[in-house]
Amino acid sequence: MPNLPSEELSHLLARIALRDRAAFRALHDACAPKLFGICLRLLRDRREAEDALQEIFVKIWHGADRFATTVGNPSAWLNAVARNHAIDRLRQRKARYDGLDSARELADPAPGPEAQAITSDDGRRIDDCLGRLVPERAEAIRLAYVEGETYLDLSQRYDVPLNTMRTWLRRGLLQLRDCLAPVA
Amino acid sequence: MMLSDDDIALAGEYVLGAMDRAERSAIEARMRSDSAFAAEIARWELRLDPMLAEIPPEAPPALAWEALEDRLFAPPKRPAWAWFGFAGGLSTLLLGAVLWFGAPMQRQQGPLWISDLVSSDGQVRLAALYDEQRGEMRVSVGGDAPQQGRDFELWLIAGEAAPVSLGVMPRSGAAAMPIPDDLRALMAGATLAITDEPAGGSPQGRATGPVVALAPLRRI
Repeated sequence: MPNLPSEELSHLLARIALRDRAAFRALHDACAPKLFGICLRLLRDRREAEDALQEIFVKIWHGADRFATTVGNPSAWLNAVARNHAIDRLRQRKARYDGLDSARELADPAPGPEAQAITSDDGRRIDDCLGRLVPERAEAIRLAYVEGETYLDLSQRYDVPLNTMRTWLRRGLLQLRDCLAPVA
Repeated sequence: MMLSDDDIALAGEYVLGAMDRAERSAIEARMRSDSAFAAEIARWELRLDPMLAEIPPEAPPALAWEALEDRLFAPPKRPAWAWFGFAGGLSTLLLGAVLWFGAPMQRQQGPLWISDLVSSDGQVRLAALYDEQRGEMRVSVGGDAPQQGRDFELWLIAGEAAPVSLGVMPRSGAAAMPIPDDLRALMAGATLAITDEPAGGSPQGRATGPVVALAPLRRI
């Protein structure tokens, strides 16, 4: 989250686990814009993103103790709660529309990671590591993670069999892990 | 236990999110029983998180907070001060309760709940064992004691209610505390927390100091 340091976020999450509503409000004010941005990007539907955002904060209220009992990166945890929820909604929607034309258009590939202005060291590091992968694999990883595309979407986009796509992503992920090794 | 590269890649795939719903559910089931696998998923969440930096924040809908507040907190419609009063009364009651040391734990058949509270720097540790049948909790305190003029206070967090004080912890060693009847029903699945409070415990009856450690009560 851009406007609060990690320590402050961890403190707020610990207070939320103690059912401190003022801390919850402060966290909401600080983090709702980023989490809403994630919902909008993945769901591409403002109304659904609004519903999702509320669900996400309900999960944060109930689940803050799970973060507070671990040592971690609070903004990554919050982002993961949001992304997970949005992805679940996408996959449910997908199941509902199975057999019909998906209501969701394949997104145009957004600018690749190298075009993004990422200021943090972590951002530069992952960009650097993505840059070492075969370009299509790096892009497929980004499309899955940031745009919510499925194996099927990706295999159609790159015109390769589903299993091949899955292999691309698995190999790409393992290469990424090796490149980012200090995190693990 | 070491995970194979296959499992590490699978955990990464889950975080990537490209799989269908059935496969996601299967992985979530595995996470619940395989803590090494669950930890790998948490690592992937950390590794990939910087990719989200490209997503710009967006102003959430107007009244998002009010709607959320309504949804989570509306039913009791109780002003905040009423909670403090309620918790305050209870806390005094509990602080008055006798803490006794070294009482032998009798044999019992009822369910037991444990909670391991450890501060993030590992310096403060408290283990709690709750005997459901006897309605008694025993705690054992280790590691750093609170600073002079401060005490550690133990809180019960259950559901939506404000934390309820279970009392001030001894500076070290063990203590046994009876859990009042009205709290016993809340113990299952609740969370315990330790806060750093003025000597004798929070005067307001609600947690005021920094949270030192927090952990759920788990059935054993």
